[in-house]
Amino acid sequence: MIQTFANSSVHSLPLDYALRNLARTPLRTLLALLGSTLVLILLLGTVGFVRGMSASLRGSGGDNIIFLGAGSEESIERSEIPSRAAGVVAASLTGLREVLDQPAVSPEVHAALPIQPAEVEPSDDPPLAVVRGVTPMAFAVHPRVVLLEGRLAESGRDQVIAGRLAAELLGVERLEAGSRLRVGEREVTVTGIFDAPASVMAAEVWMPIADLQVLAQRDSVSCVVAAMPPTAEENPQAAARLLAAAEAFAATRLDLELVAMPERDYYARLEAFFAPIRAMVAAGAVLVGLGGLLGGLSILHAAFSSRIREFATLQVLGFPRRAIVMSMLEESLILHAGSLLAAAAIALVLLDGLSIRFSMGLFGIQIDEIALGAAIAAALLLSMIGIALPAWRCLRAPLPEALREG
Amino acid sequence: MNGTTSTGEDNATPLIECRDLTREFRRGEQVIRPLDGLDLELAAGSFVALMGPSGSGKSTLLNLIAGIDRPTRGTLRIGGRDLGRLSGRDLADWRSRQIGYIFQLYNLVPVLTAYENVELPLLLHGLSRGERHRRVSEALARVGLVDRHRHFPRQLSGGQEQRVAIARAIVTDPAILLADEPTGDLDHDSAAAVMDLLTSLHRELGKTLVVVTHDPAVAERAQRTLHLEKGRLVAAAEITR
Ligand SMILES: Nc1ncnc2c1ncn2[C@@H]1O[C@H](COP(=O)(O)OP(=O)(O)O)[C@@H](O)[C@H]1O
Ligand SMILES: [Mg+2]
Repeated sequence: MIQTFANSSVHSLPLDYALRNLARTPLRTLLALLGSTLVLILLLGTVGFVRGMSASLRGSGGDNIIFLGAGSEESIERSEIPSRAAGVVAASLTGLREVLDQPAVSPEVHAALPIQPAEVEPSDDPPLAVVRGVTPMAFAVHPRVVLLEGRLAESGRDQVIAGRLAAELLGVERLEAGSRLRVGEREVTVTGIFDAPASVMAAEVWMPIADLQVLAQRDSVSCVVAAMPPTAEENPQAAARLLAAAEAFAATRLDLELVAMPERDYYARLEAFFAPIRAMVAAGAVLVGLGGLLGGLSILHAAFSSRIREFATLQVLGFPRRAIVMSMLEESLILHAGSLLAAAAIALVLLDGLSIRFSMGLFGIQIDEIALGAAIAAALLLSMIGIALPAWRCLRAPLPEALREG
Repeated sequence: MNGTTSTGEDNATPLIECRDLTREFRRGEQVIRPLDGLDLELAAGSFVALMGPSGSGKSTLLNLIAGIDRPTRGTLRIGGRDLGRLSGRDLADWRSRQIGYIFQLYNLVPVLTAYENVELPLLLHGLSRGERHRRVSEALARVGLVDRHRHFPRQLSGGQEQRVAIARAIVTDPAILLADEPTGDLDHDSAAAVMDLLTSLHRELGKTLVVVTHDPAVAERAQRTLHLEKGRLVAAAEITR
């Protein structure tokens, strides 16, 4: 039996017409598809990059007050404060979180040190990792950190624990309890592996603070982290009072040369500090994407423009311009839906979770619902941009003129 | 597809009526006037051939009658309706009901089968699938292409393509068929077949038929032959059979 068009609303062209036009010049359609797929992948990658970096930095700050050396508010690694500051903070501030009747105050040393697997020859350019010297209190102020396997490192025995992403930073297949590393000049044993989801800590190596002070030849610490009480979230006034007290404490103890700030603020500043890098990545993506965009658009333009006489004929038959624009949009939407699927699949398989190294360690590209939402919006926008110019060109000309074309 | 028009020259009011019909194009300072103050009446059910040298305004006149172009000056009444007063939307709607337009190069949609090409104009009229099927089949039978429903334009000869285009033009049962050099791109035999078909549509269905042509053999078949020259009718050259 003869196939007639499905009943569509009066004055509109059948969907089949749009579909078959896509198949009419397969190479052209494929090239246009590739162009917009490239654009969408770049968009997904860029949004995933920005969000991954921001999330790992923001995730690194908790409900803590951090004390840094005055003048080093921008960088823990450059900060130096006297070792005794931790004890003074613990004794001076009331209302901090308590762990086993002790105020949760964690003195820490942060150092960027060359790190390599012990079994490989020392290279000239070993990767730098953030090595953090800690006391057991560190686990109280950074509750995100959980031991995945093994046990904690013991002081004075050349032992460390390594973050889950440290292996990737070192370029080794896998780190596990028992692995041997060279940290600076010193060989150490990994006793445990920890995770700190969505935080730069996951790519760090932690060791007992005294060991790191020996290794780094310093007797100062980098910072002191003091935990807010667990009620801080329900009781912001109390948290604000505690912060004010900490700031007053830092301001009055001139001998310690401290500044106090919410740990989240420190990481928010760090996030802002990396904004130019995110902007550069975005700018690079825009430049490459522009190529794909212009390529795709010009192919679409050529494809539609070659049909100017056909569009005029449809109008002679009585189809309103709106019907023709809608059919063009259908075609464009189908094409870009294909690009969107391809781009999302490629991004989820190849980009999602991909580790990017930066001075704070590693973060993972995050292809999340925001990145996918942006890609959907972009695909819609591309669909419309893709037909705007050809629709204008094809439907603006008076019919007798358009009928003479091509 | 019964003729909706009354046949014959005896009809008192003409179907198509042009008064001082003028079409101008402006190109910078220059004014081109392909149609210059044309007065013309065409009776319902007549078969008119429109001849004249290239550039004399034949297509311009046909496009005005088809409602796909608008005059710069003068009036054009068809079936008592002043086309100049219709909005673009109304004109498109009027066109889809009253006009069957046949192009020199057929202008079939390449991605649609013969059947679908013919069905296309019916999509504008809110008909059921069954009704569309009945009309498309009837139109394709009328042009002698019952066995070519599923063929795509590229699978048809030029003559067959033009017959599909004619089926598309008559499927909505319009009163007026306009053809702009419909045989201009066809070999002798195909041209004759197409002209036989158009003539039969005029004779048997009573369509008013206006054919632009260079071919005296085509004009030969018409009841009336008009000659255009530089946008004006040459009265001395008019032939009525
Ligand atoms: N859109 C237009 N702009 C400018 N000139 C036009 C346009 N359409 C037609 N003309 C001119 O009008 C004249 C008549 O054209 P046309 O009616 O197509 O002639 P023909 O008798 O060959 O069909 C020609 O000189 C043509 O160049
Ligand atoms: Mg012409």
